[in-house]
Amino acid sequence: MTTKEKLKQILVEDLNLEDITPEEIEDDEPLFGEGLGLDSLDAVELVVLVQKHFGVEIKDMEEGRPALQSINTLAAFIEDKQE
Amino acid sequence: MFGAGGINPVSTQQKQPKTLGSPLGYRAFYLLIRSGGRQAAYGLLYFVVAFYILFRPQVRLSCRPYLRHRFPTAGADANWWHSYRMVLDFGKVLVDRAVVGMLGPDQLNVTLHGREQLLEIRNRRHGMILMMSHVGCWQVAMSALNFLEEPVHMVMHQDDGSLERHYYEYAEQECPYRTIDPRGFLGGTLEMMGVLKQGMILAVMGDRLPPHERNVVTVDFLGEAVALPFSSFQLASATGAPIVVMMTRKSAGDCYEMELIREIRVPQGLGRKADAYRPYVQQYADALAGYCRDNPYQFYNFFDMWNNR
Repeated sequence: MTTKEKLKQILVEDLNLEDITPEEIEDDEPLFGEGLGLDSLDAVELVVLVQKHFGVEIKDMEEGRPALQSINTLAAFIEDKQE
Repeated sequence: MFGAGGINPVSTQQKQPKTLGSPLGYRAFYLLIRSGGRQAAYGLLYFVVAFYILFRPQVRLSCRPYLRHRFPTAGADANWWHSYRMVLDFGKVLVDRAVVGMLGPDQLNVTLHGREQLLEIRNRRHGMILMMSHVGCWQVAMSALNFLEEPVHMVMHQDDGSLERHYYEYAEQECPYRTIDPRGFLGGTLEMMGVLKQGMILAVMGDRLPPHERNVVTVDFLGEAVALPFSSFQLASATGAPIVVMMTRKSAGDCYEMELIREIRVPQGLGRKADAYRPYVQQYADALAGYCRDNPYQFYNFFDMWNNR
């Protein structure tokens, strides 16, 4: 399973997204606001989940803002940190 | 003098607070403070508050939701008196803030209760969430936390007209806290997490619902349900930081007390469902209710918290 696929699975299962499957999430779809419609509480959970599942810590705003734009950006951030 | 963050003559939380008073009125108080000190300003305050209570019904209406719950058996006459006392004490707090701003921080004595416990919590290095409330004068008391030698990051709107910022600029003092604007990216959540992950201190207001806040849970407060935000409790669960409930009170003419009321430990991994946080938000609401029982006129949320529509 690729990082993107795993991220989508985490989003749907751990954030309890309803009426959407992992396959339906677009790689460049905005995670917050328009797009998937996640909110600030989801952001907190997502930061925790990324650390739990990938061992990657999003430490602050400088790292988090660009990383949490879409599946593409988040996967790239995770893979970059894991290298 | 009756300014930002204070008396809100409307009954819902979504509308902006309306400032009472006028620039001329402010200048009159500032002049009295400069010429006669705090007591001179208090002297004028008694009459100004009486005027507002007698001739500005919206001021009494602003007090009513809280007083109705704090003094449920009070009659009409008693409620006039309670309203007067509540607004008078609020006015004194504003005068005190102006006094500190104009004449210096040594004009007030701030006593901290719970210093050792705060140090012990700080030394755990998990960060801490100071949960403040609109009681007493939290701005004055914040300076009492300097001994922690950790920057305090306060979650608050950074409006140009922010009374808090003007207070320190006017006083030519270094602001004892930094601010995180909740209107920033993801409500400032990532900044808040960053603060806690670095073991620093985050200060939030627990008793007011930001406009359009959806992440609320209903708890009992003074005998009836209120909606309070639980985002801070979720942050605590995500980061392992404890919630430290602090309250301030004006205990005498020039004396304030800041007290650590309770440490709330939220278990990690509670997720994002509101119900999971209700017991912990209720602990905070209980602490606030206890404060209101002991200090009935120092609760300054002038809107209808119990209107949950």
